[in-house]
Amino acid sequence: MSKKERAVAKRKKKWDGISNFFRANSIWMLMYCTGCCAIELPQAMTSKYDMERLGMGPMATPRQADVILVTGYLSVKTLRRVIYAYEQMGEPKYLVAFGPCTINGGIYYDAHPVIKSLDQYLPIDVYIAGCMPKPEAVMNGFQDLIDMIKRKEANGWRKYQENKEWYRENQIHALGELRIKDEFHE
Amino acid sequence: MNNIIKEFVDNVTAKFELMGVDYPADLQVSLDFDQRDIHNALAYIKGAGWTQMSLLTCVDWIADNEFQLVFILFNWKNGVRLQVRTRIDRDKPVFTTITNIYPGAQYYERDVHEFFGVEFEGNPDSYKQLFLENWDDIPPLRKDFDAIAYSDRKYPARKYKANFSTEAGESK
Repeated sequence: MSKKERAVAKRKKKWDGISNFFRANSIWMLMYCTGCCAIELPQAMTSKYDMERLGMGPMATPRQADVILVTGYLSVKTLRRVIYAYEQMGEPKYLVAFGPCTINGGIYYDAHPVIKSLDQYLPIDVYIAGCMPKPEAVMNGFQDLIDMIKRKEANGWRKYQENKEWYRENQIHALGELRIKDEFHE
Repeated sequence: MNNIIKEFVDNVTAKFELMGVDYPADLQVSLDFDQRDIHNALAYIKGAGWTQMSLLTCVDWIADNEFQLVFILFNWKNGVRLQVRTRIDRDKPVFTTITNIYPGAQYYERDVHEFFGVEFEGNPDSYKQLFLENWDDIPPLRKDFDAIAYSDRKYPARKYKANFSTEAGESK
């Protein structure tokens, strides 16, 4: 590496640190609720726990959001839409998974339409424990995500870029086809 | 109220060949019809005031090699709920659509077609997929469908480094 390249890399790293500071303090989350854990979000969002003091707010569209919350179990039909939404989001993007259903299927381990472990299909930055996680746990998980972004450890989106073929292979194995074909898309 | 139910059941018995009548609870009647009579019976019952079709579903009686179609109908005038039931062959599950009697059955017929594989003649929309997308196995709510084997084949389980299973009270 030449002297010039080293200087460029150093400057890039510095700017990354500065932009990560701002990213960590202003997180827009995509309002996309998939399972029952979503019922814990109203408490976390409204006056009791008030996630806006962490700088988090809801956002309507995936293209403007920074973090997507997978709140609970995912059926294959929902997974197809979640992948759609995740790939639309601008980088850097983060994914927070709620509950045991995203880890090993939870109580849906033997169900025909529900996937078992989400990390086969999408990269996960933070897991929040609990079935369902209490609002305290949700807030703690968000604080963890913020700390991880500041420490440059929330690199799920980079992992997804680098191992895209592996993720795509798993997605095709579970879903058959990624394209959404229903009567609203005909 | 019991008089109304009794009068209605008498009328139905006079008109059609009933295969069974049961009273599972207050204000609930279940009527079993032969497959031949069911469309005429539904038209008659709708005319008698049971205008709402709350549910069309299917039961898999695998030992008898039969599917049972269950129509749950509701009458808003007297609050009586009817379960109209009929049995069809399991090997060749074909049934004539009831969407000309109850148009609301459209989505239930798609549902039953998808989960049990019953074909509804005269309703081309019932072949469209509704919940399951790109389904590649036998219909999942049939009793001979093995959900665990399907789930294991399709969605690989997480592999743990340590063994946390506690079979017969023994933990490792």
